[in-house]
Amino acid sequence: MLVAPAQRRRLGLLALVLFLLVFPFVHDNDADIDSMANAAAYATLALGLNIVVGFAGLLDLGYAAFFAIGAYFYGVFSSFQVMPLWSDGWVSLAVLGLVEKINQGGPDLVHFTLSFWLALPCAALVAAGFGVLFGAPTLRLRGDYLAIVTLGFGEIVPIVARNAESVTNGAAGLNGVQAPRLFGWSFGVDATPYYYVGLALVALLIFVSIRLRDSRIGRAWMAIREDEVAASAMGVNLVRFKLLAFATGAAFSGCTGVFYVAKLQTATPEMFGFPVSTMILVMVVLGGMGSVWGVVLGAVLLQLLQSWFLPDLTQWTHALGEWLGNAWLQRVDFAESVELIFGIILVAMMLFRRDGLIPATRQPPALSFEAQHVAGVRRGGFVGLERIGRWENSDWQKSGGNALDVRGLTVRFGGLMALNNVDLSVPAGGVVAVIGPNGSGKSTLFNAITGLVPAQAGSIRFEGAELLGLPPHAILARGVARTFQNIRLFPNLTVLENVLIGRHARLATSAIGAVLRLPFTRREEAAATTRALDIIALFGNRLAPRANQTVSGLSYANRRRVEVARALATSPRLLLLDEPTAGMNPAETLELAEQIKSLHAQGLTILLIEHKLDVVTRLADHVMVLDHGECIAEGRPEEVRRDEAVLSAYLGRAAREAVPRRW
Amino acid sequence: MTPADVFVQQAINGLSLGAMYALLALGFTLVYGILELINFSHFNLFMVGSFIALGTLQQFGLSGQDTILLGLPLAGVLLAAFAVTMLATGAIGVGIERFLLRPLRDVKGPAAMITTIGASTILFNVVLLTAGADPKNFPNPLPPLTFAIGGAVLRLREVLIWVVSVLLMLALTFFVQRSRLGKAMRATAQDPEAARMMGVEVDRVIMTAFFLGSALAGAGGLIFGLYYNFTSFIIGFNAGLRAFTAAVLGGIGNVPGAMLGGVIIGLVEAFCGQLIGTAWTDVVIFSILVLVLVVRPAGLLGRVAPNRS
Amino acid sequence: MADTILEFQAVNTYYGDLHVLKDVHYTIARGEIVCLLGGNASGKSTTMKTIMGVVRPASGRVIFDGADIGGISTAERVRRGIAPVLEARRLFPRMTVHENLEMGAYTRPRGAAFAQDLERVHALFPRVLERRHQLAGTLSGGEQQMVAIGRALMARPRLICMDEPSMGLSPLYVEQVFDIIRQINAQGTTIFMVEQNAGMALSIAHRAYVLQTGQVVLSGTAKQLRENPAIREAYLGEMQVPPPNE
Repeated sequence: MLVAPAQRRRLGLLALVLFLLVFPFVHDNDADIDSMANAAAYATLALGLNIVVGFAGLLDLGYAAFFAIGAYFYGVFSSFQVMPLWSDGWVSLAVLGLVEKINQGGPDLVHFTLSFWLALPCAALVAAGFGVLFGAPTLRLRGDYLAIVTLGFGEIVPIVARNAESVTNGAAGLNGVQAPRLFGWSFGVDATPYYYVGLALVALLIFVSIRLRDSRIGRAWMAIREDEVAASAMGVNLVRFKLLAFATGAAFSGCTGVFYVAKLQTATPEMFGFPVSTMILVMVVLGGMGSVWGVVLGAVLLQLLQSWFLPDLTQWTHALGEWLGNAWLQRVDFAESVELIFGIILVAMMLFRRDGLIPATRQPPALSFEAQHVAGVRRGGFVGLERIGRWENSDWQKSGGNALDVRGLTVRFGGLMALNNVDLSVPAGGVVAVIGPNGSGKSTLFNAITGLVPAQAGSIRFEGAELLGLPPHAILARGVARTFQNIRLFPNLTVLENVLIGRHARLATSAIGAVLRLPFTRREEAAATTRALDIIALFGNRLAPRANQTVSGLSYANRRRVEVARALATSPRLLLLDEPTAGMNPAETLELAEQIKSLHAQGLTILLIEHKLDVVTRLADHVMVLDHGECIAEGRPEEVRRDEAVLSAYLGRAAREAVPRRW
Repeated sequence: MTPADVFVQQAINGLSLGAMYALLALGFTLVYGILELINFSHFNLFMVGSFIALGTLQQFGLSGQDTILLGLPLAGVLLAAFAVTMLATGAIGVGIERFLLRPLRDVKGPAAMITTIGASTILFNVVLLTAGADPKNFPNPLPPLTFAIGGAVLRLREVLIWVVSVLLMLALTFFVQRSRLGKAMRATAQDPEAARMMGVEVDRVIMTAFFLGSALAGAGGLIFGLYYNFTSFIIGFNAGLRAFTAAVLGGIGNVPGAMLGGVIIGLVEAFCGQLIGTAWTDVVIFSILVLVLVVRPAGLLGRVAPNRS
Repeated sequence: MADTILEFQAVNTYYGDLHVLKDVHYTIARGEIVCLLGGNASGKSTTMKTIMGVVRPASGRVIFDGADIGGISTAERVRRGIAPVLEARRLFPRMTVHENLEMGAYTRPRGAAFAQDLERVHALFPRVLERRHQLAGTLSGGEQQMVAIGRALMARPRLICMDEPSMGLSPLYVEQVFDIIRQINAQGTTIFMVEQNAGMALSIAHRAYVLQTGQVVLSGTAKQLRENPAIREAYLGEMQVPPPNE
C-alpha cells in the first residue's frame, strides 16, 4: 500500500506526538525530562525570534531581553520579593486571588500570588509592549544598525535587572518564585508536569506561527523582509507590521520567560545576556531562518548538544584519557566549550548552508530559461479578462473629473533639480505616456506620485484628493498601483505569493483573525487566491504553470509580467507602468502592449513610461515629453513624434541644425 | 581634592580612555567605510590583542608590577610588544576577511554580519577556554613617575598612551591621505566600481583595511592592559559598545570623526563614572548611540546617513 | 585596412537571461574617433563595461591590440592602455582634483613620464590646474568632465572609452568637451565614445555604430550616418512589427 507524502508526514507527526506524550513514563529519568522541558523553552524562544528575524527580516540581537521581562514579571508577582504595605485597596485583588495578606512580624504586607496560568498571557502582553517600545526607534534604520540598537536594548535590560535590587534582588537572583498550581496541586520540583506544560506551549506556538505564516500577516512580513520599498508601494504599512513582528516575537519570549522561571524557581540577570541572545540566533540560523519546523529542530539539537552529547563526549574522552594515560584528556570538559561551538555553527552555516537544515522555501524544480521562452506569442490582449471584470468606476470618474492632476510638481535631490514645475493630467479611463531621454525625471515623477520620494512643491491630486505627503501604502489603498523600472519583486517568494501581496490592502484579517482562522478569514483568503490566480491566468500559459515557483528562477520577461500582475491584484483605479516592456524582444513587446490595451478597454486608467515610441503610439491618447525635469512637449503621439524640440532632446541640438529638413 | 581637581582628574582619565576608544573606532570605521559591514569580531580582536600583549611582555620576563625598566630597554620592550601585538591581530583580521567574509562578499542580507558575530564568539571562547575566566594581571614596566596638575595626578602611563595613540593616528592618517594604497582605500570607499576601473585591486584594498583596522584594535588592547593593569576575556564587549558609539557619533566611515567621537565618549565615560557610577554609564552611552542614530544618523562629521536609501 | 586597435567579434552578453548584447561586431582602427549611438537601454553602457572587463561576455571575443583580452583583469587592461571616462564622471568626490588625477595613473609608477602627463593635462585644462586642491565633488558638471578626461589621460592610454561625455552638461561645456576630444585624438589617442547626443557625436567622429536593443542596426562613416533617416527610428525606439505568428 503506497502512502502519499502528505499522509506520510502526518503519520510521522502523529508518531512523534505520541512518543513525546508517553516519554516521561517510558524514560523515567528526571534529569532527562528536565532537559526536554528546557528544549521546549528553547524551541519557543526560537519560534519567537523566527518571527522577527526569519519572517520579517529584522535582525534582533537583543532578543533575550523579552525573555527577561517575562521572567521577572512572573517572578516579581509571585514571589516574596516585592511586598508593599497592606491597605484596604488591596482587598478586591485578594478576592480575585491575585494577592494575599501576610504578616512577617510587623505591619501587614501584600504578597503577590499571580497564578502561573494568568501570568502567561499577561507577561506576553507586557513583553509585547516592550517589543513595540524597543522596536520603535529602529523602524527607519538599516539592517545592521537595527541589529546594534536591539543589541543595546538587550544589554540594558540585564543591567537594570542587576541594579534595581529592590525589585529583582540584583545579581543574587529572585527566589521564592511560586511553582504553578493546577486545581490546588502544586507542581513542586518534579520535572514531569513542567515537561507537559512546555510541550503544550511549543505546540501552541508552532500552531500560531504556522497560522501567521500562511496568512496575510505572514506574507506582509515576508514582503518587508524581501524588499520593503516594494512592500510599501504594494500597500503594506511598514510601521504597523514591523512593530507587530517585534511585539509578536516578544510575546513568545515573554511566555517562555514565565515558563522557565516557574520551572527554575529563580531568575538571575546572567540568564538573559548577549550569550543567550546569540544562542537563540544560532538555533534559528541552524534550523533555517523563516522555517517553523526548522527552528524547532535547531532548538532541540542545541539542547541535545548541551545536555547529552557534550557531557557524553566528555566522559568518553576521560575514559580514553585513562586508557592512554593522558592527563589532559582526563581533565577536559567539553560542556564548557558549548559557546565556542555556537560560534562555529554560525560561521559554518553562513558559509555552507545559509538556508538552514530545513529551508523555509522549498520549491518544485524550476524550468530553465530556454524552456520558459518556448511559449508562442499571443496576440489580441489578455485572455479571460472578463473574469476580472470591469474596473469599478468611482463616482469621481463618472462625474468626468481627471483621474490624476499633477500641478507644479518640483522635486530636488540636494542641488539637483529632478522635476521642475511639472504639470500633467490623466483623464479618467485614458492612457497617457511619459517619454524622454535618460535622466529626464520620468521615474522620479512616478516616485513622487506614489509617495516614495518627497516633493518640494506642487500638488498631486488623485480623484480630487491630495496624495502629496501620504505614505506609499496609503496611496496604494486609494487606488494607485505601480510597477518598477528595475523590477522589484520579492525574490524568495513564489509567483502566487508575489501577486497575493497585491491583495494585502484589500484584505482585512488581523493577526488574531489569522490565528483563529474564522470563516470570514477563510472566505477572504479563498477569494484572494482565486483573484490572484485569475490575474495570473490572464497571461496565458506564461505564468500559470509557474504559479508555485519562486520568482528568482523566472525569465526576465516573465518577471516583468509578474510585476504587472501584482499591480493588477491591488484592484487599482490608476495603474502606473514604468517601462513595462524593457528588455523584451519586439514580439513580446507587442504582446504586452496589446494586453495593456485590453486593460484600457476595460476602463482602467493608465499612466505609462515608455521609450519605445511605437508602443506609445499604439497605446497612448496623450504623450508628455520630459527633458531635464521639464516638460518640453505635449500632445497626441503623432504630433510629438514630429516635434522639433523632442527630436533635439533625443538626438542632440546639433542634429537639427546640421541635418537637412528631410527629417 | 577640590571640584576643579576632580574635573581635571576626570578629564585626564577621559582623554586616556578616549585615546583607546579612538583607536578602536578608527579600526572599525576603516572597514565600514569600504564594506559597509559592521564587523563584530573587531572588538574581541581588541581583547585578543591585550592577551597577546600580555604574553609578549611575559616573554621578556615581566610579570606583575615588580620590574621597572627605564630608557632604552623600556622603549625596546614596548616597541616589541606593540609590534608583535599589532602584527598578530592584523594577521587574524586578514584571516577572518579572507576565509570567512570574502566568500560572502556578494551575498545580500545579514549573512556577513552574522558571520562576524560567529567569529567574535569564537575568539571570545577560545580565549576563555585557554586562558581561563579570572582576570589576569598585566605587567607595568613603567617607572611610577607622576606629574601634579593642581590636585590632580597625571601618570606616566597616561602620557605614554596619549603619545602612542597620537602617533598611531597620525601614521594612519598619513597613510590614508598620502600613500598610494591609502588613496586606493579612500577611492574604493567612495566608489568601488570606478576604483576598479582605475586599476585598483579591490581585494587587496579590503585586505589592507582589515589588516590596519585589526592592528589598531590590537594596539588598543595593549593600551588597555597598560592603563588598567589587568586584562580579562570580557573586556571586548564594553569597549566595543563605547568604540562603536564613538564611531557612529563621529560619523560612520569618517576617519577624523572616529577620533573625535572616541575622545568625546572617553570624556563622557570618565565624567559619568564619577557622577552616576559605572553601571548606569552603559545606559548613558547606549542612549547616546540610539539618539544619534535616530536624530542625526550621519553623526557629527559624517556625510552618509546609515538609513535605508 | 588601417591598423585595428579594438575589435568585438560576435560578442553576446547576458544579465541573467536578459540578452543585452546580441552578436555584436565592432572594429576600431588606431587613431580613429568611433561613436556608439543608440537610445535608452540599447546596450551602450554594457559595451563599455565589457571593454573594461567589469562584465564578461558569454560568447565571442574582445581583441585589443591583437590580443584576446577576454580573461584579463580590469587592472591589467588599464596597464595595457585602455582608460575609461565613466558615465556621469564618477570622480572620487571627497578626493581632490589632483588626487583624482593620481588615481588615473594608479597602475603606473611615479616618475618622469607621470610628471610629463600631468603637465600635458594641465595644459589641456587650465581650469583643472587652478582647482587642483579642491574636492572633486564640489566642482560643476562641466569642470568634473574635464577632470574625468584628464584622469583618463593620466593612464597614458592608447584607447580611451568614453561613456556619454555630454550627459548633464550645458551646451557651452559640451562644445568644449568635444573640442578637447578632437585635440586628444589629434595627439594620437584612439577614442571609442558612447553618446546619446547623435548630433554632436557625428560632428567629430570618423565612424559610428548605432545600437538598438543590443544589436548593431546601422554602421558607417559619420557622413553616411548623418544623412541616413533610419537613425531617427533607431533612436526613438521604433521597432519593426514582427511577422504574424503561426
